[in-house]
Amino acid sequence: MTAVKATPTTPPPRLPVRDKAAAGERGWGGVSPMLTRLAAEEATGVLVRERGSLHLVDGHVVHAESPSAPGLELLLTAHGTLGAEAWEAAARATDDRHATTRLLVDGGLLSPGALELCHLGALYDAAYFVLAPSSTPGRFRYGVTHPIGGVRPVPVTALERETLRRRDLLHRVWPDAATDGTPLVRADPVAPPPVTARQAAVLAQVDGVRTAPDIARVLGRRAYPTLLDVRRLVSAGLVSPRPPTPATRPSPGTGTGTTDSVGTDPHVTDPDITLLKRLRDALEAL
Amino acid sequence: MPGIDECLLEAMRLPGARGAALVDWTSGLALGVVGESPGGDQEASAAEAAELARLAAEHRAFAAVGEDGQEGDDPPLEDLIVSNRDSYHVLRFVRTSFDSSVFLHLWLTRAEGNLALARIRLGEMAGRLVLG
Repeated sequence: MTAVKATPTTPPPRLPVRDKAAAGERGWGGVSPMLTRLAAEEATGVLVRERGSLHLVDGHVVHAESPSAPGLELLLTAHGTLGAEAWEAAARATDDRHATTRLLVDGGLLSPGALELCHLGALYDAAYFVLAPSSTPGRFRYGVTHPIGGVRPVPVTALERETLRRRDLLHRVWPDAATDGTPLVRADPVAPPPVTARQAAVLAQVDGVRTAPDIARVLGRRAYPTLLDVRRLVSAGLVSPRPPTPATRPSPGTGTGTTDSVGTDPHVTDPDITLLKRLRDALEAL
Repeated sequence: MPGIDECLLEAMRLPGARGAALVDWTSGLALGVVGESPGGDQEASAAEAAELARLAAEHRAFAAVGEDGQEGDDPPLEDLIVSNRDSYHVLRFVRTSFDSSVFLHLWLTRAEGNLALARIRLGEMAGRLVLG
């Protein structure tokens, strides 16, 4: 969130230590201690993490990229907001003094408002994946700037808070993260509940191979809202993550005494049993 | 050719305006805020308004129905108006050609605000924000 006028709730920017304490108190501190530190020292450069990168200028996030989220270029060209050749021309003309986005706006190809909206959408979307828990430490390279240019810098605290909120929102819809990255298959419930137009478009792309981020790319949509749509579809019983292989499913009880043969039978189509299995999966994922 | 801040400041020039925000209804994120908010907490207001906007936008009961019975627009709504004893809230969905889910939220006092004017002007602002 970016306040236009300084509001009483905004902590003074010159006191990053207090910022951090406030964040800790409200439970926001846990996303990336390194990022918090970089914000405090008003660093400029790029933070590379396992699932993407965040570009900082003076401690504010100006750009984010992740292989899981469609970039600004795809979002702008997918639905004809901008012609692909217009983007390429701007990207070619980009140099040290002329950022790509600046060229697009100055050339009258894109309004500042549309650029801000689309860029912020892409930034928060990619940052959600970049700030996902990772198994490797992040690296920061000082002084690196991105040719796409800063549009509307986002404070690190706002980004972290939003990322945590997005995580929480997904969890509340359907508490199983397996739906975010595995290929999806359609389920055919007896009485399918109604879906929204957005969800119907997502559902139409579920083919047993594509993952939620793949579907986002195909549809030219941001990845996080697609994750959310997919989890709602899973929760409604219309989609499920494809099981790795049918044989690996009952592995925990290898050997003697497996009594849950009903639960592991892949051919069960009884709607009650399907519902119970989904309920069990949801409870296990809690 | 306005950006988000100019758009919100313009909304604040409407008679009776007390607060304006641009909010993403997918998550409840406020992308920009100007002025006050009802509870004093702009983030909480944004999240609550987003919840209402999302519900209204996703339910077919409020969607316009086209010739073939299919609603094509996303979101299918133009605006949402909430009134109470002393104020109005106008939530205007911003339609973009790229993927987005944002609305303008204007909070007006009832004594000075003009609902019809606010509704029309907010629609114009939403259009100009995207098209320049």
